[in-house]
Amino acid sequence: MPTQKAFLPIIFFFLMAFLFCGDEVQAAPGEKYKRTLENYVVPDVTLVDQNGAKVKLRSLLSSKKVVMIDFIFTTCTTICPVLSAGFSNFQKRIGPDAGNVHLVSISIDPENDTPKKMKAYLQRYKAKPGWDFLTGNSNDIKKVLGALKASTADNKMYHLPLAILHSSSANQWVRIYGLIGTSDLIAEYNKVLGQ
Amino acid sequence: MKFYGTKIKHFTLRGVGLFCLLLAVLCSMAEGNDNLKHFSIAGVSPEKALKFGEHMYREGILPSGVPMEAVVKGDIPVEGTAFSCASCHLRSGLGSFEGLVVTPPTNGVNLFRPLKRFYRDVEVLSAPPLRPAYTDQTLADVIRVGVDPSGRTISETMPRYLLQDEDLSLLVFYLKSLSSQFSPGATSTTLRFATIVSDNVSPEEREAMLSPLENYVLTKNNQTRTYKKPPSNVRMEGWFAATHLELSLSQWVLKGPAETWRSQLEEHYRKEPVFALIGGTIRGDWRPVHDFSEENHIPGLFPITDFPVISENDWYTLYLSKGFYQEGEGAARYLNRIAEAVNDKVIIEIVRDTIEGQALSRGFQETWLETGHQPAVSVNLKKGEALTAKLLEQVLAGKKQYTLVLWDGPEALPALEAIAASAIKPESILLSYSYLDKSIRTLNEGLRDITFITYPFGLSQDKRGYKYDIPLMKKKVSGDAEKILKKTYSLLNILTQALIEMRGNYYRDNFFDVIGMMKDQRDPLYERLSFGPGQRYASKGCYIVQLGKGPNPELIKRSDWVIH
Repeated sequence: MPTQKAFLPIIFFFLMAFLFCGDEVQAAPGEKYKRTLENYVVPDVTLVDQNGAKVKLRSLLSSKKVVMIDFIFTTCTTICPVLSAGFSNFQKRIGPDAGNVHLVSISIDPENDTPKKMKAYLQRYKAKPGWDFLTGNSNDIKKVLGALKASTADNKMYHLPLAILHSSSANQWVRIYGLIGTSDLIAEYNKVLGQ
Repeated sequence: MKFYGTKIKHFTLRGVGLFCLLLAVLCSMAEGNDNLKHFSIAGVSPEKALKFGEHMYREGILPSGVPMEAVVKGDIPVEGTAFSCASCHLRSGLGSFEGLVVTPPTNGVNLFRPLKRFYRDVEVLSAPPLRPAYTDQTLADVIRVGVDPSGRTISETMPRYLLQDEDLSLLVFYLKSLSSQFSPGATSTTLRFATIVSDNVSPEEREAMLSPLENYVLTKNNQTRTYKKPPSNVRMEGWFAATHLELSLSQWVLKGPAETWRSQLEEHYRKEPVFALIGGTIRGDWRPVHDFSEENHIPGLFPITDFPVISENDWYTLYLSKGFYQEGEGAARYLNRIAEAVNDKVIIEIVRDTIEGQALSRGFQETWLETGHQPAVSVNLKKGEALTAKLLEQVLAGKKQYTLVLWDGPEALPALEAIAASAIKPESILLSYSYLDKSIRTLNEGLRDITFITYPFGLSQDKRGYKYDIPLMKKKVSGDAEKILKKTYSLLNILTQALIEMRGNYYRDNFFDVIGMMKDQRDPLYERLSFGPGQRYASKGCYIVQLGKGPNPELIKRSDWVIH
């Protein structure tokens, strides 16, 4: 029936928007991803990297390099392979400029993601120096996700495709919402680098 | 004669006709048999083709041993090992949902039929299907170039795989068989389960597990029977499939020595193939049941055991925790955390030669090595052998400052007091709560400041802000039986969600795939249960605590639940 036919995509859209988008800004039709400028206050927590070393997150993210963050976990199915393949390809494509950027993946599954598992994950994606993977205790990770507006409400399947970029000379962070290709990621990196 | 002649003629004609027919049938069978013999996919037998296809689907590796190559999001080259089909479509091929990305099913049943439109699990008959059924060719096309048989270009999140024709034909052949027939022990309206009990488990512990399970099955089936049984040709799918589900539960009793259990399990299974094992309680190592599950591809959900098999890659048993191993692991992580404090100190591990002591020690030593340390000095104590200051002096060989990691039961406590009163009092002591159980609270107050205890459970429920009343048994239980009751509660909680989430797709791999996508769960016994695709130990933490003062001391938290 025509009414039911037209109604179906509308119901589906609202259901998806209500359940999974919260107040996240959506990409407009035709846009590959959504770009916004955000203010974040990085919490003063100590996380642990893939080598088991303690990392003070505030110091790490105050680096003079451009910092690019995403949120993944080692047994992730769908989004993380795309995000991590993206980081891997980004490192390959910018070549010698890799020294100007620090890629940081933050685990949203700190209970399972030990340094050993994170190291194996980075090896799988052929990570080069300059890409670190961080875990920590649950409360600290929750604080970080909350501060960077990447909370998952204890459900890993709700995590969103995000990349957050920052340069030390800028006050605000660039938030990329959506899965993007490498050319677009390099373009965004260059914009931030130029700030 | 004429009559005879007629008869003979008829008989002859009829007989010749039948003979010719029989000959034709035999010939066609022979020809068919020849075809089966020569039936091959890309030049290999069907059995080998399935293995190659499975390897491509699960690990992203070609028959040649080289990783598959693909492109994702238009310009990101990826290797199949980092981006296998199973990583998104999951092992069962029933697909997944993560963030905003829906990965549709890619199992045979779904691929090779039209993709119908549904609204709240009701088929929309007034609209055409979203796409027609795939054929071998159109399936190959969508894998390669991302265009489905309706002409739609699918999301760029799906990689476009760069595959040769032969390799593609192997993958297509595998997908046809993937989750295409319900697993043994399943129909669209029934699931058969079994739970395993060894004959040396106490009646109280057996009842603490069996009683809730049997009541659960009874209650569920009573509910199911209030619904009208669907016609047998109707495939129950969607969220409401579970309302029409009837369960059965068998008790498989294992008798005699553990060495004979494996053959007993095979015999039980031969008599009644089940969909999955749930719960189960035995004395000793779960290894025989674990191996049986692994080799027969039968899921085992939350066996009630403190001695699970520790494996990074095994798939078919999902444990509540790593049991005693986890406490050893927690101790090593804690000592690593305070590594600067123990850096130049000696660590001595004393291990009682029991199944508990050995499991604790394995967890400790393996994790200690993993965190970059040299193996700790370890001493085995035979059953009945006393722990003495003299023994420790020999091990210390003149050193005075040390941390004592002691994996022993209640008999350790008087020995500890004697050691602490001697010239070689340790700087700190690590003990296992589970191994010492109630006796830990009798630890001499003079030792409590230097004693740290691995505690693998959630701390006081009152402090966590919520309580569990578990009305699963008529009579109150305590001690080990109470723990078993709580673990059975966790099992039934997860089982209920899984039965719904399977949405009528009763394939064994799907049972664990849907559990792998569950959110973190609060739990009456553990601090938290967490899940993830391929993760096989739901409780992953262990507190380090100290005892407070007095005859009934509280447990004081000295670490986070999970320590890195």
